[in-house]
Amino acid sequence: MDPIVYVALGAALASGIAGAASAFGVGVAGAAAAGVVAEDEKNFKNALILEGLPMTQSIYGLITLFLILLSAGIIGGGFKFAEPTTQNIVKSAILFGAGLTVGLTGLSAIPQGIIASAGIGAVAKNPKTFTQGIIFAAMAETMAIFGLVGALIMIATGVGL
Amino acid sequence: MEPVTGILNTTLAVVFTYVAYKTGSYIYKYTPYSYPNARIRAMEAKLLSEQRFNELAESRSLQNFVVNLEDTEYRDYFGDVSSYTLEEVEKALERALAGTYTLMMKILPKRSREFFRLLLGEWDVRNIASVVKAKLTDEPAEDYVVEIGTMLPKVKAMAEAKSLEEILVVLEGTPYEEPFQKLLLGELDAMKFETELYRMHYSKLLEYALSRKGDERIILGEFVRLKIDKLNILTVLRAKRAGLSAEEIRPMLIPGGTVNLEPLLHVEDLGMALAELDSTKYGAVIRDVRERVEGDLSVLERAIESYISERMSELDRFYPLSVATPLSYILKKEAEIRRLRAIAKLIDDGVKPERIKELLGEVA
Repeated sequence: MDPIVYVALGAALASGIAGAASAFGVGVAGAAAAGVVAEDEKNFKNALILEGLPMTQSIYGLITLFLILLSAGIIGGGFKFAEPTTQNIVKSAILFGAGLTVGLTGLSAIPQGIIASAGIGAVAKNPKTFTQGIIFAAMAETMAIFGLVGALIMIATGVGL
Repeated sequence: MEPVTGILNTTLAVVFTYVAYKTGSYIYKYTPYSYPNARIRAMEAKLLSEQRFNELAESRSLQNFVVNLEDTEYRDYFGDVSSYTLEEVEKALERALAGTYTLMMKILPKRSREFFRLLLGEWDVRNIASVVKAKLTDEPAEDYVVEIGTMLPKVKAMAEAKSLEEILVVLEGTPYEEPFQKLLLGELDAMKFETELYRMHYSKLLEYALSRKGDERIILGEFVRLKIDKLNILTVLRAKRAGLSAEEIRPMLIPGGTVNLEPLLHVEDLGMALAELDSTKYGAVIRDVRERVEGDLSVLERAIESYISERMSELDRFYPLSVATPLSYILKKEAEIRRLRAIAKLIDDGVKPERIKELLGEVA
């Protein structure tokens, strides 16, 4: 494959998979939020906060997209790896790997949405469980953070910003 | 480079396919329960507290009882009440229970909606059995009709029927036609007819539960088997109290339960039957109410119902996005309505609030 394909795929997968996962996660939690608000409007505030948690993975995907495009020179100049030399192919493959890492770890938004959905139900039943609900849902975030950190290391050490 | 690229592409394709499959199945499994289960939990928060029941016990008149329920979801069902009679209040509470079932069928995913429709069929069985028994004993059948079920218009038509042949016409085309025909031909008596209806109902429920997969199969299967156990245990104990033999009891039992009741059939009396049950999973349930059970079997009925409800609550905690949540809720709602009906009846009978509060504990 040409280097541009690796770079473009890396950027697209990072933001695409993480974004789609966030959409599913927010969708699941949003459905639960609608359910509890249908019974009692007072649940709105708590439900909204929990519903928003799975959105962060899409932000990580977007950050990674910018970093990949920046380090490949697509943003702010010409494409640095246009020549299909071994070194350029390796660098663009690293960028592809970084994007894939963030994209796949971004899938944690789906279980996070499911946890948030169960949390929204629990908070509607007993509002005192709000903090615990946030903590449980935030646990799923860890994988996405690990993915982002890994991608940053790959980009910074393997290609350079 | 070509073979390396080929291996890389194949690996990526396999990884993506696996991830997509797992993600898809994860979403399919949990997403449909997101909205209904969250809504049901919010509804659970609105279930009446013990304090509220005590306040209702202080009502002293049915009018006050209805007024005290004004700020609850029961208000909608009491809107049609024209007079504050026990019959009107009971019918409103029955409508509330029917409303809960209807809501469940509306908000639950298709795959479990059908189970709730089948579950509602238990009220048809109760109504049909009550109406037929009332007709056979020349009692006013209308008094025994509970305003809930999937074939309520037919049940009402049965209650209004002037003869048993007319009931057969009403039941034509339903699954209950055949056992009723047997009843008319004298092949079944009233008790066996009722058992046959329950057998048909529970075999349908069990068949549906076992046709499901994964968590749903576990939860629905356990729910149905526990319900069958409850019916069978009570049947055996009632039969033992009446002095029936093993051969007479065996045809009354519904297949599919979890407890082997064969040893119970051969004991001599109720006390020994209860002792025999001690080694089963219902042992702990029976031990708590043992003394009262010998005088009144309905105590055991409520104790087993409470056990089933607790078990469903456990499953609900273990599978928060599953059919366990609506099942657990519907059992709690049924218990709540049973207690409200009891309060209304006691108020109507002129029982003092203090005594109502005492009796409420027993109804729970």
